[in-house]
Amino acid sequence: MRLTHITKSFGANKAVDDVSLNFSEGEIVGLVGENGAGKTTLMSIAAGELMPDDGTIEDRTNVGIVHQHFLLVNEFTIAENLALSMWGRDPAEVIRDSGIDLRGFHRRVADLSVGEKSKLELIKAIAGHPRFLILDEPTSVLAPAEARELFDVMRRLAADGVTVVFISHKIPEVLEVATRIVVMRRGRIIVDGGAMSAEQLAEAMVEKRSREDTRRRAGGGPAGGPPALRIPPLEVHPGEIVSIIGVAGNGQSELAANLRDTLRGHIAHIPEDRARDGLIAEMTIAENIALAEPRWNPRAASRRAAELIERFDIRAQSPLQRAGSLSGGNQQKVILARELERKPEIIVAAEPTRGLDIEATRFVHDELRAAATRGAAILLITSDLDEAFALGDAIYVIYRGELSARLTPGEAASQAPRLMAGVGT
Amino acid sequence: MRTRRIAIAVLAAIVAIALLAMSGIAFGHSPHELLSILISGSVGSNFALQGTLLKSIPLLLTGLSVAIAFRAGVWNIGGEGQFLAGALGAFLAARYGMVAALATSLLAGAIWASIASAMRLWRNAPEVLTTILLNFIAIHLLGYAVNGPLQEASGKYPQSDAIPVAAMLPTLGASELHAGIILAVVAAIAAWFLLYRTSEGLRLRASGFNRSAAKWAGVNVDAQLVRAMAISGSMAGLAGGIELLGVTHRLFERFAAGYGYAGIAVALLAQLHPLGTLASAFFFGALTTGAGELQRTAGISSTVATFGQAIVILVMIVFTRRRFGQTR
Repeated sequence: MRLTHITKSFGANKAVDDVSLNFSEGEIVGLVGENGAGKTTLMSIAAGELMPDDGTIEDRTNVGIVHQHFLLVNEFTIAENLALSMWGRDPAEVIRDSGIDLRGFHRRVADLSVGEKSKLELIKAIAGHPRFLILDEPTSVLAPAEARELFDVMRRLAADGVTVVFISHKIPEVLEVATRIVVMRRGRIIVDGGAMSAEQLAEAMVEKRSREDTRRRAGGGPAGGPPALRIPPLEVHPGEIVSIIGVAGNGQSELAANLRDTLRGHIAHIPEDRARDGLIAEMTIAENIALAEPRWNPRAASRRAAELIERFDIRAQSPLQRAGSLSGGNQQKVILARELERKPEIIVAAEPTRGLDIEATRFVHDELRAAATRGAAILLITSDLDEAFALGDAIYVIYRGELSARLTPGEAASQAPRLMAGVGT
Repeated sequence: MRTRRIAIAVLAAIVAIALLAMSGIAFGHSPHELLSILISGSVGSNFALQGTLLKSIPLLLTGLSVAIAFRAGVWNIGGEGQFLAGALGAFLAARYGMVAALATSLLAGAIWASIASAMRLWRNAPEVLTTILLNFIAIHLLGYAVNGPLQEASGKYPQSDAIPVAAMLPTLGASELHAGIILAVVAAIAAWFLLYRTSEGLRLRASGFNRSAAKWAGVNVDAQLVRAMAISGSMAGLAGGIELLGVTHRLFERFAAGYGYAGIAVALLAQLHPLGTLASAFFFGALTTGAGELQRTAGISSTVATFGQAIVILVMIVFTRRRFGQTR
């Protein structure tokens, strides 16, 4: 497939700006860049879902695409969802052929974890025997073991001559699996090449590279006194960050929903499923932010939203822009702005940096650390182990809905893999 | 965005009128003739205009009732029943004066609607069904009342006695028009203020757009549902109360006359916006009085007005991107 001089604008915003790319068979292309760099737009054009304003596409083959957001019928079972796109084929066979481990195809999609849903999406895409497969942020919801499983599938497909395009923010993954790396920034291609170091890649992705590291904050740690949040064996004290890690689908979502429904008081929630639960797409940024406040008047809310847009570096035209028109990363920043600005005593953050670029991730981490320093008790539920260890003062492992004992980061480093797999303590 | 929405509404209204006029061909009249009867019969004279405004009052209130509920993602189709509950409440309280009667109509409408929200919260019974079924119950309850305990003293017709004069809404000047029109316009402005200028309205709309996200943002969506239903029901109840105190002065079997259902068309044409409801209620009021004139001069049944309502609803559903019936 050859893309030549592709340009696409949304309003005044040039999402893709004169991009030319050639793809060859059997390569795994890591397409990286910040939120809003134009990666998803470019790939939607390659897949034929969007028409470019300008430019040509030659030799388009059978393209399969797995979107960042799920396109599944929640009320249907796995088998029924598969039947929608491939009527008459045996679901067990389809799943087996894909080489992806997904059990119990009579389960309803609504009951699946996000990790399992993303596997199902992948199975759907592979079953169409694409010659060109686009994966948009596929690992953002996967635990490390699941991600490795995905990489094996990608390598197998590439060996069969399929071109795989892998959109991601996670530098180590891209370096591990991609045979070629394309970096986009503000709609343009900045780098197109093979081997590069993590440092080089990170530098290419972000314009202003801050020297700060995402290491643990010095000092800090819990203050004395009783825990702010206590659901045995879980305890979170004021001023500390407690991470919960585990393979997706082991009760993380249920835990977060349970805390939402039972905790009372000054509590912030950052929901896991941003597309569904994060923001009200039809309402403005200002209105979304105001939802957390007891009083509302439109003018004050707009002023406040304008301040927060500035402070949280949200890429928006105005506080009155519809929240649904923001990119994923910017939507997450709006949620953070809303939840953190009310100075909560407890913060329950589920996958707060899922799908975010390096800079946005660092921003979220800094905000969470700052909240902890201020005295908030923070519960971080994450499938990103680096994040769990970088931020956590203590770590619990969740497996089949059960929490492990409280572990220090040191203990967790050695015990977590076994605990996450459910093999003894 | 806003101009597009208004353009769709105007288009829907024009299509409805055009189809209505064309239907005259079936009865041996020219579309032009029917159109001129419709117009002269609804806004062509002082008398016709008063008739139109009189019809617009209950339509405005039932339209607001539907607009508020739908905005909150609550599918209240029970305007008809809540209208009757309001009228019944107003009748029973009429002996204590006008203000008491109006207040009781608000309350009665809210209570009747709340039966549906209680069933929704208790057994997750869909309000689309329960509100419709409550309409039938209200209709037969009223039928029983005017044939039994509330029948007029003379016992001649299935209707109640007239309410005391003190409870009747005063007319405006020398016209047929009563003070209910002022109440209805105030209600429209109040509904707009509620939805777009208060935090209650913000939460109602948030629950309507995306229940799940509203819940994560800390909105008590169940409480919002109960309140939206009660506010919506009180508007329809007030419509019934005003109709009793201002126009009919007594209860009878076919009292609701479809105002509750017509409210759905009014709200949809107004794109669920309270201020748009002012224009849309006037349009349907004109359609109803114009259709009455069609019956008198051209012999075409006045039920063609409901034909117009149906056309409007269909055009609005087809051309707007609102996700009907989907509450997420």
